[in-house]
Amino acid sequence: MLRLMSDPHDAELLLPRIAKGERSALAGLFQVESGRLVAVAQRILRRRDLAEEAVQEVFVAVWHRAGQFDPLRGSARGWLTTMTRNRAINMLRDGSRMDYHDSTTLADMGDRAVDAQEAFDALAERDALRICLEQLDEPRRRAVLLCYVTGLSHGEAAATMQAPLGTIKAWIRRSVVSLQECLS
Amino acid sequence: MMPEQTEQVGLYVLGTMEDADRADFGRAMRADPALQAAVDRLAAHLQHLDDTAAPAPVNSALWQTIESKLDGASASENVVAFPTHRRALPQWYGIAASAVIALGIGYLAGSMTTTAPREPLMIAVLLNEGDAQPGAIVEAFADDSIRLVPLEDFAVPEGRILQVWTLPDAGTGPVSLGTFSDPHTINLTGPELPEPASGQLYEITLEPAPGSPTGRPTGPILVKGFARPPV
Repeated sequence: MLRLMSDPHDAELLLPRIAKGERSALAGLFQVESGRLVAVAQRILRRRDLAEEAVQEVFVAVWHRAGQFDPLRGSARGWLTTMTRNRAINMLRDGSRMDYHDSTTLADMGDRAVDAQEAFDALAERDALRICLEQLDEPRRRAVLLCYVTGLSHGEAAATMQAPLGTIKAWIRRSVVSLQECLS
Repeated sequence: MMPEQTEQVGLYVLGTMEDADRADFGRAMRADPALQAAVDRLAAHLQHLDDTAAPAPVNSALWQTIESKLDGASASENVVAFPTHRRALPQWYGIAASAVIALGIGYLAGSMTTTAPREPLMIAVLLNEGDAQPGAIVEAFADDSIRLVPLEDFAVPEGRILQVWTLPDAGTGPVSLGTFSDPHTINLTGPELPEPASGQLYEITLEPAPGSPTGRPTGPILVKGFARPPV
């Protein structure tokens, strides 16, 4: 019954048990995945308490919707990552709970640029995503990373990069198409 | 896929679509497996970036908050249906079966520390007919034997006896596994039967000594429950 909690396949094994209402399986999933998901959410939401709130909502949703996980569409970890990202981005865009007009705004933006760059730097040398991102011009790559890793909108990315909004939009539209072509 | 759709897939996965567009695209995606597949593919690649985040230390308070938001109802709704018998049985059985699973897990956890020479194929927690409290545990082995652990002191009037039954399937009907009069842990060996199966019913009835005159349960059911395999 005991298994190593670091096994990445754990989530795959735990979701069917969660779907059957096994609370201990949800506790197991929390043990394996919560730290990682809080970190993913915190890159987007910045504040630890908000990141934990997002992850809390994700686990409650998993409790109700574990049966909807479709292994043919991707990994269980990926499913959890997608749910966490979506929740965090919704909270960010909702905005009513976050004040981005205070004095810490600029500092926050600075942190985001660092996080985005560090995520890229940490990709494995031979990761197809890294290879395809490297094919984008530097400012375009930076815009894509800011949006994906730290959840910035096009407008926020424009402010961070001190570039016109129209330019950022065009860069990102073209970049996401090139990325998919390169990755396919 | 249209070039415009490729762009939309990218913006959707990046998380930079406007709310209204995002909702429209979500609907289109659910109706179009090719679009869905393109989203899943790009998301799987980009998640390598998420995987570079160093896991944050998480305290147990977060889990306690989550646990407090899980309503008990959804847990019992989702309890796996027994493969056999279940449909024809009255509502009460469903409640008992849920309790059997919960208790079975606790019981197993407790028994893990002891060294058991042989592993039961199935375990059933038999619940009291009156208040649904656990009254006995049955461990069923592959060789037609069971180990019975009474959890309550059944009152056995003079001239009566406790008889243990199982229902391997509706066609076979109830089969006696043996009788006992003094509640304590006992091993009983029944007639040759198919291996005990998940969802198989076990029960104890009060019968005239030295056992049911008809070969089928005639007296009141004291406890009953369904078997589940240990994990």
